[in-house]
Amino acid sequence: MTRRRWTRLVMGLFIISGWMLTSCIQEKPLPILGERDVQGTDTIYHTIADFRFIDQDSNIVSKETFKNKIYVADFFFTSCRSICPKMKTQMLRVYDKIEQEPDVLLLSHTIDPEYDTVGLLHDYAERLGVKSNKWHFVTGNKDDIYNIAQTSYFATAMEDKSEPDGFLHSGAFLLIDKHSRIRGKYDGTKEEDVNRLIADIKRLQRENSQQ
Amino acid sequence: MNSRIVRFVLTTLVVFACLYIQRCTPGTDNKSSTKLKQYYVKGEALYITYCSNCHQKDGSGLGLLYPPLNKSDYMSSRRQDVICLIKYGLQGEIIVNGKGYNKPMPPLPRLTDLEIAEIATYIYNTWSHQEGLIDVKEVSGTLSQCKDLQ
Repeated sequence: MTRRRWTRLVMGLFIISGWMLTSCIQEKPLPILGERDVQGTDTIYHTIADFRFIDQDSNIVSKETFKNKIYVADFFFTSCRSICPKMKTQMLRVYDKIEQEPDVLLLSHTIDPEYDTVGLLHDYAERLGVKSNKWHFVTGNKDDIYNIAQTSYFATAMEDKSEPDGFLHSGAFLLIDKHSRIRGKYDGTKEEDVNRLIADIKRLQRENSQQ
Repeated sequence: MNSRIVRFVLTTLVVFACLYIQRCTPGTDNKSSTKLKQYYVKGEALYITYCSNCHQKDGSGLGLLYPPLNKSDYMSSRRQDVICLIKYGLQGEIIVNGKGYNKPMPPLPRLTDLEIAEIATYIYNTWSHQEGLIDVKEVSGTLSQCKDLQ
């Protein structure tokens, strides 16, 4: 074989292997969590129900607020000393990562709305040093909050007098896509799990940009 | 030749014996540094259980919600108040490194005086602090005087 032929062969191999590699790298989309209903050719996925809460700036926060946005939701209360400070430390890490991303928001629900008034949530957010249009701390009707936690986000949130602070709740962070579907559940008290969440937010953003 | 060897062996033995006596006699310095270590190790475990949730493992605090401990003019200047507030909690605003913090700190009434001494020894001898041992006697004395917090 001449030298030129060799060069062509090697280049060809490069192109083929390059193509094979990129087709491997195409990532799998994140799973869609919750029950699904197949009707004919359509699959109907579990989505977050409609809601209406009030945030730290007394603004109404509803599904409309998160239209075409990715968001991370959690449940906490300001006077909690067990897992909430850990969750807030981790959520603050998420906040730092997404602060400049216009399509990602955070939503923290208080499960102690009687104590956590709008004023208190405002003070809490301000002390964390976060912007209210990026990270909404919401309060509202207690039953509505517990209900949406349990039936929409599959998160535990209830009053429990046997608990040290009077509430039982999970430290979960839920990743919600722009179609209100749950795409990931993470332990908000664990750094590694939150690293996974941060990576998954980017994955979801890429998924959106491909559509 | 033989006597040389004997002399050498004897000298070595004497030197080792002296070293042994010096190291193993419980001198005051040694004793307090062992005690400091014991307090520190137990204090670290207690700190992780009771304090690190809010003040963080590295003592950096969280925003303006929970004040830092790793560098804290409040800690340096108000040791007695710190001992009291570990047990009895704290309400109202405090200024730490020029910034105001105003979230109530819950009391930990079940902690014993010794446990508080251990926590205090840990936080006052880690990060930027080097205050030495905070003995249980000092803590008991201080705690009996923080009436206004009880």
